[in-house]
Amino acid sequence: MDIDFSQYEPFKPVVYAVKCPKCGTLDYPAPMICKNCGERRDPSGAIFSAWEKVPLDGKCKLLGWTKLYALPEGIEKKYLLFGVVEFENGLRAIGRLLVEEPKTGMELVSTAGLVREIPGEDVAGFIFDIAG
Amino acid sequence: MRKAAIVGIGHTVFGNLSDYDLVDVMSFASTNALDDAGIRENRKIIDQVLVANMGGGIINHQTGIASSLVSRIDLEPAMAELVENGPASGASAVKLGYSLIASGMADVVMVTGGELMRAVTGWVATDFVATLLHPEAEYNYGITLPGFGGIFTRMYMERYGLTEEELSLVAVKDHENGSKNPWAHVETICTIEGICNSPDAKVVNNMVADPLRMYHMCPVSDGAATVILCALDSPKMKYFKEKEPILLNGIGSATDTHCLHHRKDPLELTAVRLSAERAYKMAGLKPEDISFAELHDAFIILELAISEEVGFFKRGKAREAIVKGITRINGSLPINTSGGLKAKGHPLGATGVSQIYELVKQLRGEAEKGRQVKNPKHGLSVNFGGFGNNVVTTICSKE
Repeated sequence: MDIDFSQYEPFKPVVYAVKCPKCGTLDYPAPMICKNCGERRDPSGAIFSAWEKVPLDGKCKLLGWTKLYALPEGIEKKYLLFGVVEFENGLRAIGRLLVEEPKTGMELVSTAGLVREIPGEDVAGFIFDIAG
Repeated sequence: MRKAAIVGIGHTVFGNLSDYDLVDVMSFASTNALDDAGIRENRKIIDQVLVANMGGGIINHQTGIASSLVSRIDLEPAMAELVENGPASGASAVKLGYSLIASGMADVVMVTGGELMRAVTGWVATDFVATLLHPEAEYNYGITLPGFGGIFTRMYMERYGLTEEELSLVAVKDHENGSKNPWAHVETICTIEGICNSPDAKVVNNMVADPLRMYHMCPVSDGAATVILCALDSPKMKYFKEKEPILLNGIGSATDTHCLHHRKDPLELTAVRLSAERAYKMAGLKPEDISFAELHDAFIILELAISEEVGFFKRGKAREAIVKGITRINGSLPINTSGGLKAKGHPLGATGVSQIYELVKQLRGEAEKGRQVKNPKHGLSVNFGGFGNNVVTTICSKE
């Protein structure tokens, strides 16, 4: 009997932006209506179109950051660093920052990884670090 | 449109009230307001009760709070509803109370805001407040509201050259005002030397969300506040003879993007500016007409940024006002005469109502010794929901 091992695939998160099928506008996180042309998005694809998902990663620039000690329930760390970045395609996002001494304006690379462990759920998101 | 006046106000002390029940705390502020208005005997003239609260269902395990309050203070059969708009729930409830009067659905409306946050640990409370962030793009990362305060503060400092010492002057001012307010959570003064320049300052004033330190942000507070509104053209105004009615002169609100990163310029608090423009328009006033203000300084950078957005100062210039003492109690434009969220405290649902309570207190000339503004005519408050994604501006005036 063949055994399906696909369920044991390693955790390989990807964070996606979405692309409006009508005007091509990219957005993150996925909206329910295009800010540019008003096209509706239907996550199920049953009534309106399900929009194309576009991986959001790669080079980005740090716009702002903080080193946060006031963390929420469930995170047992002394502090975490967070940054707001702008990607080359103009989209912006907030994510975890691995650079211990960040400088506003510095060039970073974004990958997707595990950002939080909530019981029963591994939460994936942006992780920003120095290239290389 | 019908006009409305504030005819009664009530408050509890802000601080740790975790030994009490949420609705009892709200009841205390509400009955204080009934007494202030002189209608405890005639309390059934109240047509509508609005309760502002954000976390009763989540952290206090209580729902149906508005109905509960009505019953606890014997106001049946008044209409009652709960209003939730995050940290701006209080001013939103006052706005909706005014709308009910303006529409003719009610003549007398009691608005009580309250929150019991210290019933849970700071860790849990921080998580609860963070639930107002975008679940996928913000909350999931573990970032909290102080984190947004830190990012915003650094951006402001880098663009306008604000120093930590200049920023800390806001805390010094607010603590000075709060020390004279018997309802304030923090009633101690602080000095620049103590929280900024001394060798011990970095220990006393520990980092919370770089560059924001403990003295740069509000405490986690419990408490409640109440205002009673009455239509000026209502025959029920005859019941309110004890105190000078204060006109609810202008009120406006506006929204902005849920995600901070969607804002073209994250330092522009568009919802603050638009809500203020709407309130000024309704009142027929301009920024230069305002005598004093209560601004939502959950993080003290917000006092500076909001004061610029509502038109008191040009962008980046509020730092000069704090350095020159313009916003101190004896300055030409006192800000946060109550101590602000920084010193008075920030029980989320109560805050917006408490700010309006302070406007009324000052306009009546009833503020405590040392924190009464001289001959005020118009007071303005800004209640800031989320990280500026839903904001309410209120203007009260002497008739």
